[in-house]
Amino acid sequence: MNLAHVAPTLLEKIAFFVLAAGALGGALVTITRKSAVAALIALIGTLCATAGLYATLSAHFLAVLQVLVYAGAIMVLFIFAAMMVSHDEEHPIALRGLFLRTAGVLSIGYLFYRIAWLVVRERTIDVLAAASTPPIPDFGNVASIGRLLFSDFLFPFEAISLLLLAAVVGGVVLARPPRTRNDGGAT
Amino acid sequence: MPGHLYILVSLALFFIGTTGVLMRRNALFVLMSLELQLAAGSLALLAFSRGLGDQRGHVVAFFVMALAAAEAAIGLGIVVSIYRLRAKIDLATIDELRN
Repeated sequence: MNLAHVAPTLLEKIAFFVLAAGALGGALVTITRKSAVAALIALIGTLCATAGLYATLSAHFLAVLQVLVYAGAIMVLFIFAAMMVSHDEEHPIALRGLFLRTAGVLSIGYLFYRIAWLVVRERTIDVLAAASTPPIPDFGNVASIGRLLFSDFLFPFEAISLLLLAAVVGGVVLARPPRTRNDGGAT
Repeated sequence: MPGHLYILVSLALFFIGTTGVLMRRNALFVLMSLELQLAAGSLALLAFSRGLGDQRGHVVAFFVMALAAAEAAIGLGIVVSIYRLRAKIDLATIDELRN
């Protein structure tokens, strides 16, 4: 059964290219805006387009989580922070150490260009030739991911719940107004 | 769709995120660029997971999402407290821990 090399339909091609263009365009808008709110709206668009890409990889559970948790909850947190610190900046790019950081961006760009070249050259190997039909019938749905989470990954799952609790407490402590010296330490 | 296209999109997304992290001076934008990098990593995980027919990549992407939530909570807490202190969140001028 060689399902790994079925040609994609026209609809799949259109969906992929629209979603990829949306994700990359939104990312470019995100890092170039001066206004934090405009950048955040573009970032939400990017994350929703990425969720669409997840869905085309038959990762349905992750696609729904991406929209709910990422584009919903985390972005609301960002918007609250942007409202609290909102002021648009005149010079969005830092000038100190600009040469070194430009060199860093260029070298990372060259590294990624080489990786991309390698990936395109090796595109016929089985791992990179994903099919239209999922490898197993319930690939990526809630039941199978949940079964995996509560068997093989039970310890990391519980550990990450503790991490989230610690992060929430830490966030509250960090963002609380600094307490003044003469209020008796009552807070 | 062939899997290598997903990897190419993921590489481009990660590169854009890296450029944002290195070039912007406002900490809020640096955190947003970090979210872009995390999304790119998750996309690569899911593409390879699909190519290998192994759902463990989905579980790791799930953990990445939880880590992103923790990172956003702590990072934004730091941004808000620095803004309270200095009325500015320019990463090039922050040296509170040195003095």
